[in-house]
Amino acid sequence: MALATVRGLEFAYPGAPAALRGVDLSIEDGEVVGLFGPSGSGKSTLLRALAGLVPHFHGGRFSGRVEIAGLDTRRVRPARLAGTVGTLFQDPEDQVVFTRVEAEVAFGLENVGTPPAEIPARALEALDAVGAAHLVDRPVAELSGGELQRVCLASVLALRPRLLLLDEPTSQLDPEGAEAAIELARSSGAAVIVSEQRPERVVEACDRLLFVEDGRAREDGLPDAWLPRETVLPDAEPRGATVCRLENVSFDYAERPVVSGADLTFGRGEIVVLVGPNGSGKTTLAKLAAGLLEPRAGRVVRAGRACYLSQDPGRYLVAERADEEAGLAVGGDLERARGALARLGLAGYEGRHPRDLSSGERERLALAAVLVAEPDLLVLDEPTRGVDPVRKDELVELLRAEAPGRATLVVTNDHVFAGAVADRVVSTAPQRERALA
Amino acid sequence: MRPAAAAALLAGLAAAALLATRLASVAAIAALLLLVCLRAPASRRRLYLVGALLSALAVVVLTPFVETIGSHPIWTGPTVPVLGQLDVTREELYNGLFQGLRLGAVALAFAAYALLLDHDRLLQAAGFARRSVLAVALATRLVPTLERDAAGLTESLRGRGVEVSGVLGRARLLTPLLAGSLERALNLAEAMEARGYGRAGATRALGPAWRSRDRAALAVAAALVVIGALWL
Repeated sequence: MALATVRGLEFAYPGAPAALRGVDLSIEDGEVVGLFGPSGSGKSTLLRALAGLVPHFHGGRFSGRVEIAGLDTRRVRPARLAGTVGTLFQDPEDQVVFTRVEAEVAFGLENVGTPPAEIPARALEALDAVGAAHLVDRPVAELSGGELQRVCLASVLALRPRLLLLDEPTSQLDPEGAEAAIELARSSGAAVIVSEQRPERVVEACDRLLFVEDGRAREDGLPDAWLPRETVLPDAEPRGATVCRLENVSFDYAERPVVSGADLTFGRGEIVVLVGPNGSGKTTLAKLAAGLLEPRAGRVVRAGRACYLSQDPGRYLVAERADEEAGLAVGGDLERARGALARLGLAGYEGRHPRDLSSGERERLALAAVLVAEPDLLVLDEPTRGVDPVRKDELVELLRAEAPGRATLVVTNDHVFAGAVADRVVSTAPQRERALA
Repeated sequence: MRPAAAAALLAGLAAAALLATRLASVAAIAALLLLVCLRAPASRRRLYLVGALLSALAVVVLTPFVETIGSHPIWTGPTVPVLGQLDVTREELYNGLFQGLRLGAVALAFAAYALLLDHDRLLQAAGFARRSVLAVALATRLVPTLERDAAGLTESLRGRGVEVSGVLGRARLLTPLLAGSLERALNLAEAMEARGYGRAGATRALGPAWRSRDRAALAVAAALVVIGALWL
């Protein structure tokens, strides 16, 4: 008997069009299934249905049947399914309950009734498995995005679920961390359904590939744009008139050195991509270049205006209308703002509230809000997090088209994107730090 | 010391400040709690201390204008609808200072609780009312979370060359902060349910055993309440 079966599943969130349309699916014990599809296609909703959160938590119109280990999800609360099903959500920051790592990992174990004497050992074992045992006593607030993602994965693995649902589990991990996380999920013995926007990270580990589009799931292969691509990182010399130069720059966080003696130059017309492991100082370098941080030692010289787009920019929109948001950087010039929105495919969205937009639309709005200023130095921090390959190609095209007028610095762990967009790649990996210094 | 014992001590001090009737006693308790708060890192304690100070100051300043007690007027002002004639007496000033110090002491006790205690272990120690304690723990985390979100919003605006300064500049952040908190709360509730929260038969990880100084702290906390009520 299959571990999970989905029959004729149709679902719509309250007041919204159908998110899932007639999905049929069967998952066997130990199977690894890759789940792909554009943003908003219904992947996360399907995972929520398998966890019982749809319809119990979200409400909405539900028809069809979902059974997990013989339990009908319409009759059983999601909390009852916990332990059999383990769910890792997209944004690790929004799923942390406690202030310390140990308690965070123990939380699920306590809820499912694990004997108290076993809880610390199970928590530590799960942390060890994800390479985060050293974080056990750390406050959650002090962890980097990648470290937090590992802790959240440990919290789920500690439950030893039979069905593991992973919603973009590698979005904040470097390639090595992502490979380790997927391998770990695979070797846990659980059936795994992993939703990903970076197919190259998971396809090889999957037994089956499922593509979701417009709420319908199919298994006849991935569209061309979704097939894993070869990554070739360019190795060019700096070129163009210097827009920004970091000279022997160092920076510490709470007396912990993050950047030591970095020398970097960004020339007009080139796109420089900064890659490197989690916690190696990429974001700090980007903020130093953009002028959001002041170096402890060394100096940063800039010619002209710099703009910086942070990670997860859709979370940090402040205006009541999309055009007002886009106009903030140009003193409220709505004409220029509307032009920038149109360039990002958001014509017709001018009067919409930014929080009413989908996550992909919010990110495009955030990008429009920095491009409108026509900066001499454009700094983008992880701009492809949660972005599907088709939209990623569009972003490459846009950045390449805009590149001649400015210097562009992109921080990313997405090597496919890096290979497609970069003129020059700089690594913050330890073996290359000497090259930076 | 176990967080539960430390929390009891802080609660005892706050209760003593509320029960005490002498200005000097309340001032001493507030000073003691301020010293405790100063043990927290400067970057974290600033927001809490500023909040406590402003709340206390507001009470000190407003009380003389809304109260009508005392027979030693210092200043007599105009008649205002609803409030009547405004005046300030020596007794009102004293009472304003007294109530302000009381509020300050309670706010500082909360600040010490939020800044210095391990809320996870406090929650583990809750043998009953675990849901309420979890709600308090999550509410306590709200302040640093809002602080981080505000920093993210400020950075996002600075990244576009928009400086956030002054009352109006900061007021612009309030609506997105509130909206962000609501989104975050919904996501967290969903994640908690997916991890089995609310299921029957939950257990608790074993915490460290109670030691004699933890018991002593509980006794001191109880004594503080009695002393505050009878002698301070």
